[in-house]
Amino acid sequence: MLIFRKPPENIEHPQMPADVVIVGGGPSGMACALRLAQLIDEHNAKNPQAELSKENIYVLEKAREIGQHCLSGALLDPGSMRELVPDFEKEAPLEAPVSKEAVYFLTEKGKFKLPVTPPPLRDHGNYVISLNRFVKWLGGKVEQTGITVFTGFAGSELLFDGNRVTGVRTDDKGLDKQNQPKSNFEPGYDLQSKIVILAEGPRGSLTKQLIQKFDLVKDRNPQTYGQGVKELWEVPSGSIAAGEVIYTMGWPLTAREYGGAWIYGGRDNIVSLGFVTGLDYPDPRLDPQRVLQQFKRHPFVARLLEGGKLIRYGAKSLPYGGWWAIPPVAGDGWMILGDSAGFLNSQRLKGIHLAIKSGMLAAETAFQALKSNEFSAASLGVYQQKVNSGSIKEELWKVRNFHQGFEHGFWRGMIHAGLQQFTGGRGVRNRYLGSAGYTRMKKLSELPSDGNPEAHLLGPAKGDGKLTFDKLTDLYHSGTKHEEDQPAHLIIQDTNICESRCIREFGSPCQNFCPANVYEMLDDSSAPNGKRISLNPSNCVHCKTCDIQDPYQIITWVPPEGGGGPNYDGM
Amino acid sequence: MPETILVVVEQREGKLNRVSWETLAAGQAIASETGWALEAAVVGSGVEAVAREVAAKKLGKVYDVESVALTPYTPDVFSAGLKQFLENKQPRLVLMPHTYQVRDFVPQLATAMGRTVISDAIGYRKNSEKLLFTRQMFQGKFSADVGFSCDPPWFVTFQSGAFRGDKVEAGASAAPVETVNIDIPANISRNRPQPVFKEAKQAVDLTQAEIIVSVGRGIKEQKNIELARQLADALGGEIAASRPICDSGWLPMDRQIGSSGQTVSPKLYLALGISGAIQHVVGMKGARSVVAINKDSEAPIFEIADVAVVGNLFDIVPPLIEEVKKAKSA
Repeated sequence: MLIFRKPPENIEHPQMPADVVIVGGGPSGMACALRLAQLIDEHNAKNPQAELSKENIYVLEKAREIGQHCLSGALLDPGSMRELVPDFEKEAPLEAPVSKEAVYFLTEKGKFKLPVTPPPLRDHGNYVISLNRFVKWLGGKVEQTGITVFTGFAGSELLFDGNRVTGVRTDDKGLDKQNQPKSNFEPGYDLQSKIVILAEGPRGSLTKQLIQKFDLVKDRNPQTYGQGVKELWEVPSGSIAAGEVIYTMGWPLTAREYGGAWIYGGRDNIVSLGFVTGLDYPDPRLDPQRVLQQFKRHPFVARLLEGGKLIRYGAKSLPYGGWWAIPPVAGDGWMILGDSAGFLNSQRLKGIHLAIKSGMLAAETAFQALKSNEFSAASLGVYQQKVNSGSIKEELWKVRNFHQGFEHGFWRGMIHAGLQQFTGGRGVRNRYLGSAGYTRMKKLSELPSDGNPEAHLLGPAKGDGKLTFDKLTDLYHSGTKHEEDQPAHLIIQDTNICESRCIREFGSPCQNFCPANVYEMLDDSSAPNGKRISLNPSNCVHCKTCDIQDPYQIITWVPPEGGGGPNYDGM
Repeated sequence: MPETILVVVEQREGKLNRVSWETLAAGQAIASETGWALEAAVVGSGVEAVAREVAAKKLGKVYDVESVALTPYTPDVFSAGLKQFLENKQPRLVLMPHTYQVRDFVPQLATAMGRTVISDAIGYRKNSEKLLFTRQMFQGKFSADVGFSCDPPWFVTFQSGAFRGDKVEAGASAAPVETVNIDIPANISRNRPQPVFKEAKQAVDLTQAEIIVSVGRGIKEQKNIELARQLADALGGEIAASRPICDSGWLPMDRQIGSSGQTVSPKLYLALGISGAIQHVVGMKGARSVVAINKDSEAPIFEIADVAVVGNLFDIVPPLIEEVKKAKSA
């Protein structure tokens, strides 16, 4: 019997007043906190008689340590970072400046190098970084300013007063598997805050609450996502240079799936490689973790990894939808940053610099609001104007139709992308509509039973233990740990749908799209189709794919007890 | 009447709980800063010896609060007895250690008296005539100073380790001990205490086991665990399991082997129906010899097994039990 996490009733929550609560300590949240501290320090230096306090500005971070849940390729476009910390290159942990770049189109055994690197993928001037190390450094700077980062605390609910966001409730700690308080039970805190800033990363759980409450996606394209599966390898010296950047398109995906791979050379013979599979593929049996394993078997990649060893694994979703899918980002008492808003350039495969920029703009807005003591939609709406009139929109507008162009396959997508390149992003019309990725999943009855031509992407990877790995082995390398005795944080609205409908119609795709073996269908003669759904919540790497990709939209990801999750050291 | 601080020390079966010295040390510190009188109380039946032990410390007086109804301990009787005593004495401040027993009765006591408790405090501070107590928030990342706005008596419990028990000052001479007999109406307790037991006997230390029979998903149903248990008994070993078994509640969590459970290195590890995912293997790869029984010849457990048996464990284990028994009796 599955018991899901839900707020216990009749529990009093300790109250704590706050000026600003930033939910999520990733690049956008930390940039926001740092910029806000800078502005307050400047103000206080000039106005010693009207000082603003930083004491009641808090960052909530569900990971046990800063940066532990941060996963990206990653390449950093240093533009916004230079605005935030001039000369940051001197102190920030950077792997290497990009020294060499290439884009390949792969066939099963062969490869074609694009003769010219397309302009959006030219990376000279950018840096290969470990987002985990980078955010750890940035978070350290935030803590030095006197702003408190509550690590191990997740935002689990938004607090409202009518249509105004008035705060955040943190996670309840010490609930057992039956959702009953244990002897160490500690109710979540109600942080009553003048401003709540959501910087939760892609598919934020509080952001989702907010979007639903105010129907913020009205008139927007549905957000679409990809799932990035990443492995960190240590390879023999000379296999790849630090700063070398390789992108691939094509194999193992067919023209019906969207996605591609990255390979970045870091310091000390560390290679970051990963595969992003668009979460809008047709065959429910497709397994993105397997896609990465197939990719590694390509002779070009296998040779590169030869003699190396896997050191870390992780997975995370990323928002692809672009400009037309971004909800309003400010309102009465709230602002949304970074990937939670969808600030990612899907053509350049970059979002960190936009996340940082959005954090800075929100900080400037919050600073003015604190000065004028005015936190209404009009006051915080300045953030929206700054987004619309500055570099974020400028960059995203040019690629506003990029991902939608690929809805009908790779080749038509390439034609659209080419057209858009010459029309300032317009292509054949100003706004390409899009559909939510899960709606494009086909039923098993509409697909060939042998899975052709995608058979090599379907079902679980076996793994040879050297170059390729089964999911559990990969998962082990994510360092994921949770308190085992707690209710399931993957809330399935109606498990009957899983056991009577989904299993027949789609073959239970949760088992395939989850990169962490959280979902399993176990033999059970009493279940209608001989299998019952079972969860391993403590495997969860917090990628949010299930919340995004389940075809019935009945899974809601909520934060588990704070402190649990993957350990993305060096990722 | 001078203001009084009363420390309620804790005794169990006539023995003082050492953490009470910490509370007494806290009481001495507050008394010296406020100038208030310091007294202590022991609650129970026949606990005068404990009262005498406490009286050796530097304080004004020790009350030996006595009633036969106070043994055995129940929260109803304890809070009723203390309520009676406190209403009579009217101390300003009541200090207790934040023990399981105190946690059990103090909410009831304070509620019955219409007062509040500042619980699990780690210190105190005197701030322009106001007495503040420090509590931890956000798992110790933050401290909040809180004070009372209600009438006394004020209840405070101190976290264990917040004060140094060995720093409690001895008195120049023994303080007077006053016996207070209280009447507690019969049948007031809604609790029926059962004999005290220790669960510790249950908790197995698998790290010490020489032989471990471990079951995985291949065991199929909860009732089949018995089969593995018989084998473990026959071998004189302990039973253990991989995560899914403990997750289903078929065996307690302290018998889980692997990255989220225990790490063991027995002489013999018998893996029944365990596939051998790395999460399990890291918990048992130190075993001197591994015997694995699994239907799937490609199960990763066979990569580390010294003896690999490909087959159905339900066919193999029953005769194995018989053979072990035979060999042992021979």
